[in-house]
Amino acid sequence: MAIIQTSKLYKDYATNGVTVKALRGIDLTIDRGEFSALAGPSGSGKTTLLNIIGGLDHPTNGQVTVNDILLNEQSAKELARIRLNRIGFIFQAYNLIPVLTAIENVEYILLLQGVDKEERYQRSSEILREVGLGDELHRRPQELSGGQQQRVAVARAIVSQPDIVLADEPTANLDQKTGAMLLDMMHDLNKKKGITFLFSTHDQMVMERAERLLHLVDGQVADDEWKKK
Amino acid sequence: MKIFFMIGWRNLWRNKRRSLVVITAISLGIFSMLLAMGIMNGMNNQMVENTIKTSLGHVAIHYDGFHNDMKLKYSFKPQPDIMKAVKDNQYMKHYTIRVKFEAMIRSSEASQGVMIMGIDPENEKKVSSIYQYTLKKEGSSFLESPDSDEILISTTMADKLDLLVGDRLVVMFQDTSKELVGNAFTVKGLFETPISSFDKYVVYTGINTLQKMTGLENRISEISILTNKKEQVDKAAAQMRSELSGNNLEILTWKDMAPSLVRSVALFDTMMYVFFAIIFITVIFSIANTLIMAIMERFHEIGVMKSIGTRPSWIGSMVMFEAVNLGLVGLGAGMAAAILVISLLGATGIDFGFYAESMRMWGTGTVIYPSLKTMDFVVSALIVFANTIIAAVYPAMKAARIKPLDALHYV
Ligand SMILES: Nc1ncnc2c1ncn2[C@@H]1O[C@H](COP(=O)(O)OP(=O)(O)O)[C@@H](O)[C@H]1O
Ligand SMILES: [Mg+2]
Repeated sequence: MAIIQTSKLYKDYATNGVTVKALRGIDLTIDRGEFSALAGPSGSGKTTLLNIIGGLDHPTNGQVTVNDILLNEQSAKELARIRLNRIGFIFQAYNLIPVLTAIENVEYILLLQGVDKEERYQRSSEILREVGLGDELHRRPQELSGGQQQRVAVARAIVSQPDIVLADEPTANLDQKTGAMLLDMMHDLNKKKGITFLFSTHDQMVMERAERLLHLVDGQVADDEWKKK
Repeated sequence: MKIFFMIGWRNLWRNKRRSLVVITAISLGIFSMLLAMGIMNGMNNQMVENTIKTSLGHVAIHYDGFHNDMKLKYSFKPQPDIMKAVKDNQYMKHYTIRVKFEAMIRSSEASQGVMIMGIDPENEKKVSSIYQYTLKKEGSSFLESPDSDEILISTTMADKLDLLVGDRLVVMFQDTSKELVGNAFTVKGLFETPISSFDKYVVYTGINTLQKMTGLENRISEISILTNKKEQVDKAAAQMRSELSGNNLEILTWKDMAPSLVRSVALFDTMMYVFFAIIFITVIFSIANTLIMAIMERFHEIGVMKSIGTRPSWIGSMVMFEAVNLGLVGLGAGMAAAILVISLLGATGIDFGFYAESMRMWGTGTVIYPSLKTMDFVVSALIVFANTIIAAVYPAMKAARIKPLDALHYV
């Protein structure tokens, strides 16, 4: 069942009179339960595509649906609601709110969703334990390592059981080993809980762990490779 | 919403120094304004108290028209029903009767227009403070009885007319039959009130003496009444008015007798509040500036917050809360300091002796005891609160409108 569908997605950036065609007609379907990677060199359009799928940016042309909801022409407030309830985000780095502790960062999402206090704490501490941070619940981001911070970001992204988690080069700021561990953990969550992941990378190690590789070249899908199913 | 209040609060302490500078500015502003208000209140209160103690009392009963034209013809007989209404009034603490009218006094050196008051010394002591204001040295002393034919004058007048205790002077006036009469008095004592205009104008002698000299017989000009509390004057006056209607009397409270004093006290209050509000406009800029800097520093994290689904209006309220927190901390600190200092100074008083002359003109006394009214706290809290909100509007809107994508790029 399709969670994400894009059709004829185009994105142009105009800077100083020069138009950059970042996306050039992307047709893509992501199904529930996928663990897929957008691979491609820097500048190939990975971030642009993830941002448009996540409702953070508007395409110049074409359509995106998330769980059959058409993102085009939603108001800023409505897009915020969709991002809050249906999409989990993990960015390269500095994902967390610095003045909140690990568990408060995770609870933040549930709080915005109006989940009551007890359930909030219950679910957030449980998820943090699952990502291996059971002892770090009350630390602030600056007291955590880069890898630990990304784990909190993963916990925050999945705590509200979104339709899909979008991760833009989640390991780019981590060393090889920590990156591999983070990815294995995400893959585990994908298998155990059926959470759909779509991440971008240009890292060989990450590509190896993806089940489906979408190669982007100059804003187009050059290759759609299923490694295992 | 609570989470945004909490985030706002914690953000406040991320750049401690910057926040403390703003908080200090706010609290210093509040402190100095409250102190100024406290001193102004002290002056106002003392101006009113001194006027009551020196001349007006709380409530006065006259023949109708006397207050505007203090002539002998506006006198009345203290009939038993009138005296009963005064004595039985539940708010009445003390009362005294007086004769008063305009006259001229003359020494060998000079002459001057005055208001001469005939008093009953024992009752006068209970109603006004003229006994306390009378010097008790160098032969000066207070009048002893209503029959006294000696006179009390102020030190100011003694200087002007070049008189000492024991000297004689002549008082001239028109008696009830419009005859111009002159009588010699011996200076019994000298007084000094906090109100210089009063000292320039008023002299005292025994009431019985004046009644005889003028031909008033047992008629009087005024019954001056002190109530138990200043707040009761309106009730006391209203009660006497209803009981004594039809007697051709005017029953006036101190507020009726000194409307300009009441007006100037109200005016000073309003002026202070307006002044306070104007001063605090500068605080708006300092708060706004701090908030804008804080938002710029947190551009990226606001982007993250928005990306993961925080609505623009929630980001706006986070900034509002941050401003409110700044304002509240400043308000609390400023008020605490003001309460402390003003209760201290309220006990010791501030000696403005070096301005003695102008203080005597205002009738405040030279030592001012600052005090604060509940209204001062309410008004200053409202001003600070309103200014904080105004200061936060632009930064909050700016933060609410940050585009998540622009902010995410910005690390
Ligand atoms: N905000 C922007 N303004 C102008 N050009 C942009 C902007 N964002 C991306 N681009 C351009 O679009 C192309 C795709 O960029 P991006 O999606 O970031 O690629 P990737 O994430 O694969 O490195 C690049 O040529 C980049 O320079
Ligand atoms: Mg990128």
